[in-house]
Amino acid sequence: MIEILDLILFSLLGVLVGIGMGLLPGMHINNVIPLILSFSLFFTSSYQLVVFIISVAITDIFIGYIPSIFLGAPEEKTSLSVLPGHRLLLEGRGYEAIKLTIMGGVGSLLISLIIIALLANTFSYLYEISRPYVQYLITGVVIFMLVSERKLRKILPAMLIIFLSGIFGVIVLGSTIVKPQNVLFPVLSGMFGLSTIIISMNERSSIPEQKKDSELKITKWQLLKSCLLGSVAGIIVGFLPAIGVSQAATMVQYVGGMGESRSFLVTLSGINLSNEAFSLISLFLVNNPRSGASVAIQRILTQLTFYDVILLVGVICFVSGIAAFLAMFLGKRIPNFLAKLNYKYLSISVISFVLIMIFLLTGFYGLLIAFTSTSIGLFCAFLEVRRSHCMGVLLIPSILFFSGLNGIVLSILGI
Amino acid sequence: MQKNFLTLICFLTSVVGLILIYIAAINIKPVEIKISQVNSELIGRSVSIQGIITQKNLHSEGHVFLMISDDESDIQVPIFSSLMNDLKKENITESDFKINEAISVTGLIDEYRGQLQILPRKTSDIKIGD
Repeated sequence: MIEILDLILFSLLGVLVGIGMGLLPGMHINNVIPLILSFSLFFTSSYQLVVFIISVAITDIFIGYIPSIFLGAPEEKTSLSVLPGHRLLLEGRGYEAIKLTIMGGVGSLLISLIIIALLANTFSYLYEISRPYVQYLITGVVIFMLVSERKLRKILPAMLIIFLSGIFGVIVLGSTIVKPQNVLFPVLSGMFGLSTIIISMNERSSIPEQKKDSELKITKWQLLKSCLLGSVAGIIVGFLPAIGVSQAATMVQYVGGMGESRSFLVTLSGINLSNEAFSLISLFLVNNPRSGASVAIQRILTQLTFYDVILLVGVICFVSGIAAFLAMFLGKRIPNFLAKLNYKYLSISVISFVLIMIFLLTGFYGLLIAFTSTSIGLFCAFLEVRRSHCMGVLLIPSILFFSGLNGIVLSILGI
Repeated sequence: MQKNFLTLICFLTSVVGLILIYIAAINIKPVEIKISQVNSELIGRSVSIQGIITQKNLHSEGHVFLMISDDESDIQVPIFSSLMNDLKKENITESDFKINEAISVTGLIDEYRGQLQILPRKTSDIKIGD
């Protein structure tokens, strides 16, 4: 019998930590899982730890949109190439952007839970029959990502990034210079966290005046369609190894015509939430973890029962409700605070914190990996191609692994 | 001009970083330890162990599960089908893993369902009869 009050308490504790993580730019649940696990002695039951990790992961997703929308927006002269969230911010509709991500997250989460419940028995079968073809599916995604750049002058740099990050992934994931369970921390922090913060430090330091009305300039039909797309894409992302939210968002933009900023934000948030939910539930459905949080939970609980899954879903829903409310509350107030904050100091503090954590958890070699991954992330940004091409770091090793070529490549490299 | 320079610098630092990581990766050798020294603190580390095969189980999908023992302890060594396929190319099949045969295995220490195991990843990680 698990103490219910205990679970609520640790959920709320997770929400608190998730708020802090979500508000700090460049931080992600995968970055802190090794740290959380190193504090596992302070948790008296494995369920407290599981509930805590899920709460941090879900809250981080909801709150994380606040800094990503309100910080690092470029100047108007470059606004044609800005991200959808920044585009709304520049129009003074930053709060609306936050609300759209919340609606997308909650809506897609509910839809995806219904889809997962309806198809629960078929996932295991789909997993088995798709396994021999996974390498082809991932290769297809890589090709799609390249072609979606459209122009040859963009496709070639994108190929270079995928190639460079692919070699980096093969060497880093294939070697044992850093413990495999911690290696993604410096890899992903550098490519997507540190490099983004470094770039945004040179961008706009002030936020345009924001409207705080409750108007949502999206039709109910667009909202429903975006949530549905987000749910389906999130489940597919959760199902396929190495495919990330950014690749799915790119594909949905083309397949579902999600080019419009508002629909895109709803779908992106939907993919994120439903992917996290499916990744956790997939521990039971296909006995295979699909996210940083689910890997940690599999290590803690070893074998999940049906009632464990009920608990996971309950915690996801409970925390989503609280996190959505908090994101709405903070989304209205934090921008004023962020506007007063010295963004450069905040960025330098976050970079220092991440580097110290990397050193403590992965040592000198971790710092070397972070240095290289940050360079690749910056290189990608300067080449002006999508940062998601850096996911070659996972995509290429996954293609090799599922083709059965991993051992041969490692032998050739002498690792 | 400044942007081109920064792009070039980032490319060069990426390549230099990759080369340094590669040099480190090929020069860091697995630690040789006794099976009894394997513990959960070593999860994720690459080690080499020596012992004799005391148990062999074949899986329908082509995986081979060995139990390797020395004087003091034993540990499970799963050889997954992809690695078995690579071994076959070097004329090593599951029948070459004989009970009481000496074997040395290099691999990552992992935990599966609460049990520690060593995961070899390439053909050179397994040496029979040494």
